Amino acid sequence: MLKYSLMRLARSVLTLVILITVIFILLRQMPVEGYFTNFEKMSPTAIDVGLRKLGLKDPLHIQIGRYFLKLLQGDFGVSFRYRVNYPIAQLIWPKMLVSMKFGLTSMVLSLPLGMALGVLMVRGKGRLADKLGNAYIVFIEAVPNAVYFIFIQLYGSSWFDLSILYKAEEWTSMILPVISLALPSISGYAMWLRRYMVDEMNKDYIKLARAKGVPSSAIWFRHVFRNSVVPMVNLIPGSLLLTISGSIYVESLYSVPGMGGLLVDVIKRQDNYMVLALIVIFSSLSILGLLLGDLLMGVVDPRISFAKKEGSR
Amino acid sequence: MENKEIILSVRDLNVKFSLRGKVLHAIRGIGMDLYKGESLAIVGESGSGKSVLTKNFIGLLDNNGWIDSGEILYYGMDPQHPVDLAKLKTDEEWRDIRGKHVAMVMQDPMTSLNPLKTIGWQIGEALKLHQNLRGEAARKKAIDILSDVGIPEPERRYSQYPHEFSGGMRQRVVIAIAMACNPRILVCDEPTTALDVTIQAQILHLIKELKEKYALTTIYITHDLGVVANVADRIAVMYAGDIVEVGCADEVFYDPRHPYTWALLSSLPQLGIKGRDLYSIKGTPPNLFHPIRGDAFAARNPQALKIDFLHRPPYFEISATHKARTWLLDPRAPKVDPPEHIKNIRNIRKNMTGGQCNG
Repeated sequence: MLKYSLMRLARSVLTLVILITVIFILLRQMPVEGYFTNFEKMSPTAIDVGLRKLGLKDPLHIQIGRYFLKLLQGDFGVSFRYRVNYPIAQLIWPKMLVSMKFGLTSMVLSLPLGMALGVLMVRGKGRLADKLGNAYIVFIEAVPNAVYFIFIQLYGSSWFDLSILYKAEEWTSMILPVISLALPSISGYAMWLRRYMVDEMNKDYIKLARAKGVPSSAIWFRHVFRNSVVPMVNLIPGSLLLTISGSIYVESLYSVPGMGGLLVDVIKRQDNYMVLALIVIFSSLSILGLLLGDLLMGVVDPRISFAKKEGSR
Repeated sequence: MENKEIILSVRDLNVKFSLRGKVLHAIRGIGMDLYKGESLAIVGESGSGKSVLTKNFIGLLDNNGWIDSGEILYYGMDPQHPVDLAKLKTDEEWRDIRGKHVAMVMQDPMTSLNPLKTIGWQIGEALKLHQNLRGEAARKKAIDILSDVGIPEPERRYSQYPHEFSGGMRQRVVIAIAMACNPRILVCDEPTTALDVTIQAQILHLIKELKEKYALTTIYITHDLGVVANVADRIAVMYAGDIVEVGCADEVFYDPRHPYTWALLSSLPQLGIKGRDLYSIKGTPPNLFHPIRGDAFAARNPQALKIDFLHRPPYFEISATHKARTWLLDPRAPKVDPPEHIKNIRNIRKNMTGGQCNG
């Protein structure tokens, strides 16, 4: 298990290095105006001097090497356009914390609620609870969420007398954005758990368990539910880590100073180092999420073995 | 036979299913007795209702099926006051029967075990329910049962997961779980169909051994007449949701009377006549969505009588233990000779000794 984890970790790091290199090279092909604030008024010589000062005229491999060295020290460089000459790490960190605060709160809420809804739907499969649950899921999946987000913001704030925008010092102003974030997640968790449980409950081993006289509550809990949670476990670390990426809609509706939309913003403004920094963060977290998900699967599913195959007998 | 104790008695059982808005009459008025300690084989082609019939004994009929009428009297709890299994509905009501009185071995051992639990845990679950054993006592008992069903190194195997077992070994585990319930009746639903031919004999031998050791009553569901020949005391032949012939194994094998039994036996490759095509039954089984008039097999029976298409035949007794539902046995019926294959079997019988039904 340890050996496997280290191997996977090494491979993840390699993936990341390749990914950063490729993105780095691609971003160097972009127009150079992104490195200056007053590009239009600059003479070609001034531009040349400026680029030289930034080290952008050096051979590509030296530039890349330099970037990795800085990265290892936790230095993402500075922003050129988003906030001029401001260190990127200091720029992003507080935003990540805000997005994470919302994301984690909504996940802590939606995971148990979504699973409860899924179980309720399966237990009453084809009956009212299932139909209502399905209606909810179809609504969430089919209607663009910007539509009901606006309703939640407008009616929620007026009916319950809540702040229409996020205020850091007022925790009640988090309620509406967190509900908006949780609604789609609840639907997702409920849908997947219901699906996995329906799959499990029709399997032969459930019939055998019934035939041996296991009471139905134990069948539901010890066999069907327990086995259906396993495939979901794989997804949880990833979604947990990516809560830091925030949500474009919710954050812009409530003017939350989070990460949502930041990537699009900096791409539009050609702030290359910012783009690079965000890609490094998001991809490392995605890769780490996958890795943790797989390792967790190995813990809960005995069929997954990280050791060399012995062969079954 | 008369002094045999009845453990389960099915009386005029009708089972129906609702499928795509139509009603399917899957079991059409079956009556049969199961004797304590015997081994009964139910044979018939796919869709004849073999599994559906026995699922009623353990309350595991699919949700779209129901018992329309009839009784299933179980005498195993109190011989004076039988329980009517046909009246049990909820899992709660079935709890005392399932496992404890009737246990089941299913067809496919590859999918019959929970993949995420050790086999020790799965046997322990049954031990806790039916023998009230926990902890160390349960572990000891489970290991005993594992070695009982012929699994080598039971202590090591106890803590392994199903995927670490081969198909044959998994079927032994499934049997071990059934034995952990300590049942009176063991229903084996095609227990060897999914297994390698070389393993089949071992599993059949094992079930037979356990039957003797624990005085079980066993029901085999199968379409493999080779299996039947090995294990059955009595045979019930099913066709289109009805038992068309029932008798001691030797009677049904060597002196079959129903045209369907003739056809079934004639299709056995072992009985084929060299140089000729293997016999096969023409046509398809009747559609059970529609009511059946007369003898269900008549349409596929080249020697069918006129009355076969009009009235359903009653049972005619050939001996105290052997009866068949065919008009051919009516004294007024013309003499119809069984096919050549069947005559050959009868000749084999003449050279044999014994072969009495000892139920």
